[in-house]
Amino acid sequence: MPGIDQVLAQAMGIPGVLGAGLIDWTSGLTLGTAGRAPHADHEATAADTAEVVQAVVRSATFDTKGADGPDLEDLIITAAGTYHLIRFVHTAFDSQTYLHLWLDRGQANLAIARLRLRDLAAELVAA
Amino acid sequence: MPLPIPPGPAASESPGPAASGGPLDRCAAERVTGALRGPNGCFYLRDGAVYCVEGTPAPGIEARLGAAGRLTGDRWRRALETAGPDHCGGRFLVAEGWLTQSELEICHLGALLDAAFFALPLASETSSFTPGSRHWLGTVRGISAAALQRATDRRRALLDRLRPWAAVDASPLVPLPPARSDHSPTTCRQRRLLDRADGRHTPYELAHALGQSAFVTLLDARRLAAAGLIQVPTAPTALPRRRPGACNPVTEGPSPTWQLPVPDILETADPDIALLVRLRTALEENL
Repeated sequence: MPGIDQVLAQAMGIPGVLGAGLIDWTSGLTLGTAGRAPHADHEATAADTAEVVQAVVRSATFDTKGADGPDLEDLIITAAGTYHLIRFVHTAFDSQTYLHLWLDRGQANLAIARLRLRDLAAELVAA
Repeated sequence: MPLPIPPGPAASESPGPAASGGPLDRCAAERVTGALRGPNGCFYLRDGAVYCVEGTPAPGIEARLGAAGRLTGDRWRRALETAGPDHCGGRFLVAEGWLTQSELEICHLGALLDAAFFALPLASETSSFTPGSRHWLGTVRGISAAALQRATDRRRALLDRLRPWAAVDASPLVPLPPARSDHSPTTCRQRRLLDRADGRHTPYELAHALGQSAFVTLLDARRLAAAGLIQVPTAPTALPRRRPGACNPVTEGPSPTWQLPVPDILETADPDIALLVRLRTALEENL
């Protein structure tokens, strides 16, 4: 039964991945990290990606499903040479976490990385 | 429980390292194992890393898992009884197949972070450390004290942006009908909070009922107040205080004279007037 570290180790097996983390978006606290981070600073990466996530989460524009239950899935940031892929983790209980992948654009396939990360987010909460 | 949220570092200050030298920093530096109790909560440490925080107004793991229907109170009590002297309640919950390891870790860290928000900052004068004291759930996952303080500072800065609406923190939430047709749209989480706001329960109580983060509940309550969807309670106006030396301005003219009771009025059928007359007579006798 995987814990956070095992899921992050699996994330490191996604082609082109440079680093991964599980982060709380209300505070930028890292619940776990693996691999590398921009500027070799996992905490700064977590704090910065958390601010991006906060901007999306507080906006009703991205929350239009109407019924209860969150409908946010991914955020994708493309930058020169890298991708940042953010996947919301939907737990049965209340939580505010997301998985973050830092990918090498030359090596990664964004579509595959997105599907693999979706499965890993599901694995985090699979009973 | 009404708790004033202390303001974070002023926006003009650079987000430097968290105030160091506090009892939590000392415990981390000395890599201690035990329980650090402050006025607003208790930190459990193992080798200087925080692995549990409780005793705050934030809902704990039990409330979170229970409200979501993820773990019954019975199973929680079984884990509590089984943990015993080995302090391995968390491992038991996973071994029984009631939670996955990562669910336990995520829920536990979420509750820890939420509790730390209300328990920090600690002051040396009001904290006490019990060496070797352990939590029954066991070390699910530890967080460095410094990282926890920085995360709490970032949360405080987030809440501080909504400081003008801080009055809603500790009062029962009173929903307001949207006054304008172009009222701000709400998120799913905010609608859930609005649905439960009944004018009787505070954000802290609603966070427990919903099994959700007290910090996020405060954030949403303030945002709803800012959007005009929650009534902002007005501070109770204190009674005007009498200032020493304050009196009516001296009026010019003849000084007031006391009127003696008029005998006719003393004989009245109206009980209210009779009472007033008796009162006046009694007062005049004491002049």
